[in-house]
Amino acid sequence: MSAGAKKRIMKEYGECMAETPAGMKINFDEQNMTKWEVLMDGPDGSVYAGGHFKLEIIFPNEYPFKPPVVSFRTKIYHPNVSNDDKGSMCLGLLRPDEWKPPNKVVAVLRLIQSLMVEPNIDDAIEPSIANEYKENRKEFEKNAKDWVKRYAK
Amino acid sequence: MATPVMAGGFQAFGHVPAHSHYHESPLAFGPPHLPFRPSELASARYQHPPAGHFHYNQTTSMADAPFLTPEEEFAQLQKLSNEYEPEVTGPLVGDRQSSSAIATEYANADPIYRVKTQALPSKYAFFRTCRGDGHCGWRAIAFGYFEALLHVGDVAKFDVEEARLISMNNLLNLAGFSEDVYIDFAEEAYDLLRKLGGSLQVGNGASLLLEAFNDMGVSMAIITYVKLLASAWIQSRAEEYQNYLQIDVKSYCSQNIEAAVCEIDDIAVAALSEALVKPAGIGLEILYLDRSVGDEVNAHAISQPMNFNGLLPMIRLLYRPGHYDILYRAEDLPAPQQQATIHVALAYNNNHNFEEASPDANLLSMIPGMYSHNRFQTVDQSFGHRWPPATYDFDPTPAPQPHITPIQPYAPPPPAPVAPVSVAHQDFMSPVHASPISHQSPASHHSLQLEQQPMQLPFHPHPPPPLSIDRAPITVERGGPFRPSMYELEPGFGTGEVTPFQTNIFRNSHFNTCHFMNPSFQPEEWSPHEYRTGNKGRHKSASQ
Repeated sequence: MSAGAKKRIMKEYGECMAETPAGMKINFDEQNMTKWEVLMDGPDGSVYAGGHFKLEIIFPNEYPFKPPVVSFRTKIYHPNVSNDDKGSMCLGLLRPDEWKPPNKVVAVLRLIQSLMVEPNIDDAIEPSIANEYKENRKEFEKNAKDWVKRYAK
Repeated sequence: MATPVMAGGFQAFGHVPAHSHYHESPLAFGPPHLPFRPSELASARYQHPPAGHFHYNQTTSMADAPFLTPEEEFAQLQKLSNEYEPEVTGPLVGDRQSSSAIATEYANADPIYRVKTQALPSKYAFFRTCRGDGHCGWRAIAFGYFEALLHVGDVAKFDVEEARLISMNNLLNLAGFSEDVYIDFAEEAYDLLRKLGGSLQVGNGASLLLEAFNDMGVSMAIITYVKLLASAWIQSRAEEYQNYLQIDVKSYCSQNIEAAVCEIDDIAVAALSEALVKPAGIGLEILYLDRSVGDEVNAHAISQPMNFNGLLPMIRLLYRPGHYDILYRAEDLPAPQQQATIHVALAYNNNHNFEEASPDANLLSMIPGMYSHNRFQTVDQSFGHRWPPATYDFDPTPAPQPHITPIQPYAPPPPAPVAPVSVAHQDFMSPVHASPISHQSPASHHSLQLEQQPMQLPFHPHPPPPLSIDRAPITVERGGPFRPSMYELEPGFGTGEVTPFQTNIFRNSHFNTCHFMNPSFQPEEWSPHEYRTGNKGRHKSASQ
């Protein structure tokens, strides 16, 4: 990892510490600064409220010229999060072709928060959950809350 | 299905009617898009370079999956084709090399390309590759900007540019970029300006620049910085640029400029020229090499250079669809560095080999005054003493290479063959047997007066050094007492074009540019006759 990348990650970490977005906690390992662990609370008013989700942010060596990789370590019933042991997300500014070097991790975290309030159905990684969200919102909410209880307490 | 393949007979195979639909296929397969790995093409099967008859490859894949209908197969191939990403290799920015390499690359290509690339070296003697990783256009302009400043060679100019770039932070702020983020990228650009300014004393600017641009972190930061400049420039002149855009300025900038990986397009080139290149007094010209009618690349001037004491700094880009490289005219470059003494010593040290080199000895005997060994030595020493050491530079790559070139021993040279390499050369291009008078002509590039002329054949008893590409510029520019060989003036000299070592193993390997795995892959024109007459004319250089 280049000096520029390290400098940038340190700078972003400093900002995140100075002004942590509401409902988040960031764990940072000095030894391995390319891997952040984020604890995110389910936003109030969303189906995920009351849940605590563990996320992992991995910075590629080419950061900030390539996007960070975000994954949910806590299982979540969400159209934009892959329903497997990876819990990966790939949408919007996290896509390699949409990522811009001036983007910051804070923007990524905010994006995730807003997606928990309002999933992006057009860009879903789990089409069946997206479909359920569209056609049978009740069922979706029930499942999502069920998963929160089961995995995210 | 596999039988014709195993037989290795492309001719037999080409006539199997069941496959005629490949030729009619509307899908645009091209050899570069077929991502077969070498393991899928056992070398025994793979007898020909892929260009022109790639149904050959498809057969191989069909043999693996025999139950596909043609439609499914097309779908599968199209999918493979779409997903294929050519392996991007090579330096981020390459060394400057003779542009006859481009002509060599296209020697077997489409006639339009062939004509255009052959005309290229006479006007644009050198070029430099940029890695085609999606940033090449940005990289080429950014590199050209710094290099042009180096060519201007004024320390104050670097300071002025740094101040100007810093003042452009206002523009970036106005466009909504946050300073704490872009400053990291900008700093790399300022640093490089400072380094290059400081290098003018030492004269190692060119290597510093190349080093910086081949450092992924530094070059990406600078590329990102110039992208932000272009974006901010467009956003600050939204009304003006909106006329050229289908979508609104903000989303255009976001998708086509700021995105981490996006090729530069015409509008961004224009904006970057206005923001970065033109205010520095540097000209920008793009030369389009495509299949349009004409026998030269089409030049398109984006900005005109200012005159710096007779110097017109230019960035010239060679555009081939989807890719930018950097081109140079011979006169764009600063005067060649003077290197001295080495050549005298070498010529002196070599003369004990003189008699061993029998083919050369024949040549020698043709020259008046060059007959005896003793004489040679005397002359040589006298040269060593009398020659002003700073007037010519030595290039250890000798002109004629009897060891590897299939050239006949010396024939009296034709009168001044047309030299497409560089105009400057013709100055000292004189026939071998010309009278001594001609060497004293005032047109001579190196103002040296020769009283004796025998010392002009570059003897080289050692095996010739590999013909490295980065040598070429020096070869072309050299002066000195050695008469340049006529062969040196041919396009492709020094690029290994005439390599006669063409074996089947080489030809079928990825070192051959006709091979789709080669980073400089160029489809080869398929001409059926050549297959019947063996492999004549199928040589491609591997040395790029």
